[in-house]
Amino acid sequence: MAIHEPGRRLMHFVPLKFVQKRVTGGGGRALAAALNLTSMIDFLVTIVVFLLMSFSASGEIPLDKNVKLPKAENTIDMIDAPMIAINGSQIIVDGTAAGSTRAIEEAGRMQRIDELFNILKSKRELWKAIQGGSNKPFPGVCVLQVDEKVAALVVKSVFQTAAFAGYPNVSFMVGQLPRHEH
Amino acid sequence: MGGVNVESGGKGGRRSVDSEINMIPMIDLLICCISFLLITAVWSTMSRMNADAQVPGPPNPEKELNPQPPDKMLHVEMRADEKFTIIWKQGPTVVNSIDVPRHAVEITEGAGTTIRYPDLATKINDEWKANGSHRDSSDKKMDQAVLHTDNKTIFKEIIAVIDAIYTPKRDFGGASKQVPAFNVTFAVN
Repeated sequence: MAIHEPGRRLMHFVPLKFVQKRVTGGGGRALAAALNLTSMIDFLVTIVVFLLMSFSASGEIPLDKNVKLPKAENTIDMIDAPMIAINGSQIIVDGTAAGSTRAIEEAGRMQRIDELFNILKSKRELWKAIQGGSNKPFPGVCVLQVDEKVAALVVKSVFQTAAFAGYPNVSFMVGQLPRHEH
Repeated sequence: MGGVNVESGGKGGRRSVDSEINMIPMIDLLICCISFLLITAVWSTMSRMNADAQVPGPPNPEKELNPQPPDKMLHVEMRADEKFTIIWKQGPTVVNSIDVPRHAVEITEGAGTTIRYPDLATKINDEWKANGSHRDSSDKKMDQAVLHTDNKTIFKEIIAVIDAIYTPKRDFGGASKQVPAFNVTFAVN
């Protein structure tokens, strides 16, 4: 490109010395900093690889906001099964209310929870209808999300109701504690 | 504009094998990937503990098959405030009974606390090593444990005891991973 003599310039009387000083870095620390592209790309690629390795396509397990789960060390992996959440006031099956925990506590004795029983029974029948004539046995697994302060009476009532409704294989959902060697 | 240029070949009018990667879209892509993966990341991993209510029996309950002596079962009583009682039973017969002091260890994490019973875990581990019926790796059956609790016990303590019962581990078949030695049943009475 050919070099031309600069032409007339507007506002040439405005000195703007401080801008010139800043841009050229003269006198003070320059605003623009050089960034090494190689290390930056290495860093970004490492983060992408790490996040891809920890990525789960199955998504997060829905957890009731009012339930604070206890933690345990000797656990097994989660499975896909009907989720029964039990908090201080109510029992919820996959987002549908299925009974009151207060009523069980007030009764003071173990009992079958009819709403929960009906919901679980209909889920079991739905599973059989979907499976059709296949000989696959019904797994009978359900997962209980129980708040850590719920009384054993409520847990026993839900446990027994689930077993009556055809879900004898009950699992308790817990948080994971770091494992120690015994 | 930034670019990566690998100088090689391309002499004498032939098509150059060099390729130039545009840095700006590449960095944009990487940042988009990172943002997507960070947003969809699941940081809290949940697990589960089995409490099986299935009771095995003969296919036809009317017909008695070859009668076999019942297996020994470990019953863990947590009704008393100051102790646990570990009872080995064979059918209705009590084989052995041991008391374990109820020393809870509280682990504080953030706002919450987790209860653990390491003394009970150690004792159950020792008991299984001494009296467990199914310790061989080729044995497909598990030893059975039954947890008895009163109605007022809070769930956090029940989980701590089930966690202690699951402490003993054994080899299972040819799998390299160890499995819990006990199958826990949560007694409703």
